[in-house]
Amino acid sequence: MKLINRLTIWYLAITTFVLLASGLIVFYRVQAEIENEVKTRLKRDIDHAAQLITDGLSIDSVRGNQLDVREIDFNASLIPLEVTDSMGFYSLYRRALDRKFTVASSYKIQGKHYYISAYNFIAEPDEILEGIIASLAVTLLILLLFVAVTSRQMSKQILSNFNGTLKTIQGFNLKQKNRIKLAHTRTYEFKELNQFLEKMTNKALDDYRSLKEFSENASHELQTPLAIIRGKLELLLETRIDEKQASLIEGIQNAVQKLSSVNQSLILLTKLENQEYPVKEKLNFSRFVKDEIESFRELIEMKSLSLTTKLDPEVYLDLNPVLADILFTNLLSNAIRHNSMNGSIDVSMSSSGLSVKNTGDPPKVDTHELFKRFKKDKQSSESTGLGLAIVKQICDLNNFRVEYEYVRGNHELNIHFLPKK
Amino acid sequence: MMKVLIVEDNIDLARNIQEFLQHEGYVCELSGSCKEAQEKLISFHYDCIVLDLMLPDGSGLTLLENIKEQKLKCNVLITSAKNSLDDKIDGLDKGADDYLTKPFHLSELNARLKAIYRRNALGGDNSVRFNEIVLNTDSLEARVNDTHLDLTKKEFDLLLYFLINKNRILTRQSLAEHLWGDYTDNLANFDFVYQHVKNLRKKIAAAHGRDYIGTVYGIGYKFDTSLS
Repeated sequence: MKLINRLTIWYLAITTFVLLASGLIVFYRVQAEIENEVKTRLKRDIDHAAQLITDGLSIDSVRGNQLDVREIDFNASLIPLEVTDSMGFYSLYRRALDRKFTVASSYKIQGKHYYISAYNFIAEPDEILEGIIASLAVTLLILLLFVAVTSRQMSKQILSNFNGTLKTIQGFNLKQKNRIKLAHTRTYEFKELNQFLEKMTNKALDDYRSLKEFSENASHELQTPLAIIRGKLELLLETRIDEKQASLIEGIQNAVQKLSSVNQSLILLTKLENQEYPVKEKLNFSRFVKDEIESFRELIEMKSLSLTTKLDPEVYLDLNPVLADILFTNLLSNAIRHNSMNGSIDVSMSSSGLSVKNTGDPPKVDTHELFKRFKKDKQSSESTGLGLAIVKQICDLNNFRVEYEYVRGNHELNIHFLPKK
Repeated sequence: MMKVLIVEDNIDLARNIQEFLQHEGYVCELSGSCKEAQEKLISFHYDCIVLDLMLPDGSGLTLLENIKEQKLKCNVLITSAKNSLDDKIDGLDKGADDYLTKPFHLSELNARLKAIYRRNALGGDNSVRFNEIVLNTDSLEARVNDTHLDLTKKEFDLLLYFLINKNRILTRQSLAEHLWGDYTDNLANFDFVYQHVKNLRKKIAAAHGRDYIGTVYGIGYKFDTSLS
């Protein structure tokens, strides 16, 4: 549920409650006011009548509409002010019964005892209630209407900063070079949020950067000692040694070789993450692939593999040539290395994608697991376990989609150049 | 006698190269920084410079530019841990004669240095000979006792590599890397090296050449001149 809807529901619930409560208060207050007012006025009326009689007017002339004057027994005790609340017929036609409010009192004036009463019709409680309910209903309706009309706009305005922050954060990538910049806000909560987010992402970026730098430096630092070991071993071979020592040296050399190729792959991977690989012009990928295949032909023949190609001659890609080289070399290398004797390789390419298929033993690991670093089908194998990770990295960099499947005895690597629709 | 200046800040690495090249009868001098190298270049003449790109006081590329500006007649081979294509192109553009990525086999370095030297030496003699074997590195023609050897490109490369690294143990790995370069990683084993060496020896024997190439300790081969 959207925040604004939540707030609106709360707002309306509270408003309804407050309106009901205020309706009740208004009802009792209005009623009391009316009664009070009418009582005071009627009392003034009868007092005025008594005054007129005192001034010498006859009671007939004083008697009038809604005012009655009667002479009663002088000896009767004075009737104090009495208020009656009753129902009576209002119109002359006596059709409707109304609330009749009567105030009466007796006065002894110049040796005579008068009973003066005055009445008035006032609104009945249910009529007042009706009015209040009607007006409150209208108020509520106006509120509803107003909220409905303005809430979207208001939420857009109030939450604009929040939404902006959200958008920035969603677009945040650990690999990005620049720190995130959130818009200035005066809202306290959003200010807090933005400050926290900026601090957190900056920290994440810094940590990630130093981690990357570390692995890049570590790999670079390893290169030199490896080269030294290699050289020393070569020199050692030239000294007087026996066969046993020679085979030990060979073992070391092979291990050093492996180490240095793992290391070079790691350097390449970190470089792929850290460096920009600009695309200067469209690359004729068809010709590129054709040339690469030629340079591998001897290796393919040495393993007695049969190669079939189906290449669209007009495939142009926005791809850096260095990356193209690494990408295709890795794919073809894998197809050769993990092939069976007398197996086959099938390379096909169109403007939408590249597919490299090769025969080979079924994989023991889930195929897309193999895109992870150091994930190998056979842990003992000579490969570095980084080839496909590099392929994936290059594909990610260029928004290509890469899939690896094993179908009917064939390892299939498919790269889709176009983004998924 | 070739005079070589090794510009490399890592002393162990530099000594390795020096020791290896001294066996070849080269005169080798070391310098660990651009500045030191520059001073040496002013005072002495070198046929070849083995130049590392990452030096404590700057990039080797700057030194290369200076050498070219001063029109010094020496060949430059760049060695660098950076294996990015850009670096390589940059170096070669600025006039380096060759580029070798670290780590490299010393025998490979030797072969490259000799190749550069052959190419650029005055009155360039592009033949490499040993007793009855003569290789023409331009026409890729091989002769044994004046008999033409019908060698494949790889076999020719192999023989040349043996001739340049005479009396050295060449492991199958270093031979494989020399012949196949970056593609070596794709080979599960080095059996194919054995195949090439076998064919080469057969062809030399057919031309009545002596069999100088022998296996050593079962780990590699050696072109043994003492057999002559």
